[in-house]
Amino acid sequence: MRVIAHVAVNVFKESVRDKILYNLVVFAVLLISTSYLIGELTAGQDVKIIKDLGLASISMFGLLIAVFIGIGLVWKEVEKRSIYTLLSKPIRRQEFLLGKYCGLVLTLIINVAVMTVAFYAVLAYMEVTSPVNIRASWPAPATDLAMLKAVALIMLELMLVTAIALFFSTFSSPFLSAMLTIAVWVIGHFNEDLRNYGATISSPVAASIARGVYYVVPNFAAFDVKLQVVHAQAVPLRYVAVTSVYGITYVAFVLLGAAIIFSKRDFK
Amino acid sequence: MKVHPAAWVALVVLFAAVIGLQMLQAEQQPLGLPAGVSANLLYVRSPEFLRRAALSFDALAGDIYWIRTVQHYGQTKLSKDPNKQYDLLFPLLDLTTSLDPYFDVAYKFGSVFLTEAFPLGASRPDQAIALLQKGLRARPDKWELAQELGFVYYWWLMDYESAADWFTRASEMTNAPNWLRPLAAVTLAQGGNRASSRTLWTEIARDADADWLRDQAKLRLTQLDAMDGIDLIERVVEQYRARTGSLPTSWAEMIRAGFLHSVPADPSGKPFRLDASTGKVTLDPTSPLNPLPDPDHRL
Amino acid sequence: MDAIRTEALTKHYKVGFWRPRPYLALDGLTLQVGQGEVFGFLGPNGAGKTTTLKLLMQLIYPTSGHAEILGKPVGDVGVRRRIGYLPEQPYFYDYLTAEELLEYFAGLFGFAAAERRRRATALLDEVGIGAERRLPLRKFSKGMLQRVGIAQAVINDPEVVFFDEPMSGLDPLGRREIRQLMLRLRDRGCTVFFSSHVLSDAETLCSRVAILANGRLVTAGRLSEMLAFQAHGWELVVSGLTDGALKQTQERGRITRATRLAEGRYALELPLTPPPEQTAAALIALGAALVSLTPVRDTLEDFFVRQVSGAAGSRFSESA
Repeated sequence: MRVIAHVAVNVFKESVRDKILYNLVVFAVLLISTSYLIGELTAGQDVKIIKDLGLASISMFGLLIAVFIGIGLVWKEVEKRSIYTLLSKPIRRQEFLLGKYCGLVLTLIINVAVMTVAFYAVLAYMEVTSPVNIRASWPAPATDLAMLKAVALIMLELMLVTAIALFFSTFSSPFLSAMLTIAVWVIGHFNEDLRNYGATISSPVAASIARGVYYVVPNFAAFDVKLQVVHAQAVPLRYVAVTSVYGITYVAFVLLGAAIIFSKRDFK
Repeated sequence: MKVHPAAWVALVVLFAAVIGLQMLQAEQQPLGLPAGVSANLLYVRSPEFLRRAALSFDALAGDIYWIRTVQHYGQTKLSKDPNKQYDLLFPLLDLTTSLDPYFDVAYKFGSVFLTEAFPLGASRPDQAIALLQKGLRARPDKWELAQELGFVYYWWLMDYESAADWFTRASEMTNAPNWLRPLAAVTLAQGGNRASSRTLWTEIARDADADWLRDQAKLRLTQLDAMDGIDLIERVVEQYRARTGSLPTSWAEMIRAGFLHSVPADPSGKPFRLDASTGKVTLDPTSPLNPLPDPDHRL
Repeated sequence: MDAIRTEALTKHYKVGFWRPRPYLALDGLTLQVGQGEVFGFLGPNGAGKTTTLKLLMQLIYPTSGHAEILGKPVGDVGVRRRIGYLPEQPYFYDYLTAEELLEYFAGLFGFAAAERRRRATALLDEVGIGAERRLPLRKFSKGMLQRVGIAQAVINDPEVVFFDEPMSGLDPLGRREIRQLMLRLRDRGCTVFFSSHVLSDAETLCSRVAILANGRLVTAGRLSEMLAFQAHGWELVVSGLTDGALKQTQERGRITRATRLAEGRYALELPLTPPPEQTAAALIALGAALVSLTPVRDTLEDFFVRQVSGAAGSRFSESA
């Protein structure tokens, strides 16, 4: 446990020194400048656009970090051979893997937290500076706390993507890992379409393959409740709970797979 | 290096849990979308804007909108929402074909499912016509588009003059098959008739490169068979009345009287219904061939 | 209990993508290293030295055979508390400073923050890294990195250390420092197992050596024993030798070769027999003065070359 935390903190330190966190600056600038520019355009719609943009950006930036750091987590250590010295210390291979994972998740949590705070800050400013009649037309307040549900599910989605990137990183090169991780993410987002294929194609074999893929590939679309929270539609806690358990179980599955592959490897 | 067997067991257990939870999720009520928010599926309304925005990726964007079209159709078809609508079908098809005017299957899909009666389609022949005419503007020599236009007028709008006109135009286009000209003539002369309909649907079935289109055509042909069957049985009922002076009250009576060998059934196997007061024969309400194309225009 | 023990340790690799041929990297290595020894693991490049070390660190898994460190099977996590390892051409996290790296590794052993700092500071002093310790490692030269490498290998006061080519890429000053460091470790009771293809290092440092070639152990044992029976003469250095005396002794067949060092000063090669004392006495009687008398042994290099060229053969099996 202690060892895992130790490695995790080191990963976080690396991401800080690699200036990953500069993305936060880009995010803040993007959000603030957009809110300023569109403030002039559509009365009342600008809050919706900021909410859409903010949530989408949190998701997108997080995804980029999860994929592009995740694919290098293990690969870099193996390629540069720093793993040789590390594994000669009293650390098990699984502890190393978990430590790397937790480190990136920690980085992501901090990223997402800061972005969320900035996001709410901009929204609060918009709330305060909007006239009362405009505010009345909004389906939900600008600083609607229900959006935190969307953020929480985004965080879970990022944890799953990180796990998948880490998994690929244990045995394949960064380019291939990136492609595979992104491919899995894309397929997982179109999961709903896979389920409905039976309605539009009549080949039963293809339909059952599609259905099979639907059940196996992580269902990323389920983590996406941005549309609902922006339009103040209810997102029941039961939904959040089931989806969270699903996400965590899948993470455990992927990490275990990664640990098994990693523990069998020869480091040439 | 030997992996602890407990690890393999755990892997299998977790995998099963993942699938199980996914199934659980699938059963959940999907999160509601407020009305009108489905427009988000389009993201953009103007085809012109989209074509420019797509830069050099028009065809790809067209593909994406095609996928969305099929998805929209599929989801709406499966939806149990009483207020469901195929309201996005035309806009999506419009966008798809604006991005890629050569996207033939989109036109075909539109001509079938835009005209199809609700709940299997949008019930909007006008939208189908608009789509097909737009297609012809981009591809003035594609006989299939003219033929489909003729078909919409023929089958759904029962405007036989316009239908014949379009069939004629189609027959004059490059590579047009030779059954179009006689079809145009018959349509003009007799209006709607079953033989013409059968010809049209047979050609569609033969030509169809998509399963859903072939299935449609086969369904139509089976319905035409059912209507032939109904006509036949109604004639037998009339014969019964002529002989006995009153209408039969059930199939059993007619069988006992020797007019029928067994309970007549439609091509799907469901027995026909006899209306004892009028002598009219209809499909069993549970027959998959329902609803039959309008019997009153004597197709 | 031996510090290190291997039994028939073997490693096959599969080389090639389309039709992998098995490549025998290590063939049945059986070896013991006692505690407190400085053990030289010698061999030409590609002999299998690094493979052996990686097998001992469980970076790779053996095809057959097994190995133990301090009585426990290789890979036992507890044993790793008591060992240290320096790989060949080490790379460390270049975004960390030397201090941070050592503290990071110290943290893996569970030392408290203060203890980590203390050890890091002490070791950096000992290996001679001064103010540079606050610079990120990407700015370190090869020699400095090697020193940091040694520091991290002993951060936990290990009982056994494993060094893979510790002198590689170092200038003579650096090599000397590392040599002294290794001797200091020995003096503390640490077992030092190091691999090298530079034989002069082994000659000065090791009590026992093993020679590996083409994946096989060629010979192992005390250095002095291995070289002893290879002694094939004496070297007698005298001064004040006149030409006449030299000629006289040469005629009597007592001298194999004479090399003139300076005026009257000669280095004389004598055969094994007759005993050199006699020839020395004779020369002294003729007026020369004795400067030194040393046995001429094979250098380790001669011995090595002889052993290694005898162990030829391809390590690729016919394709499976």
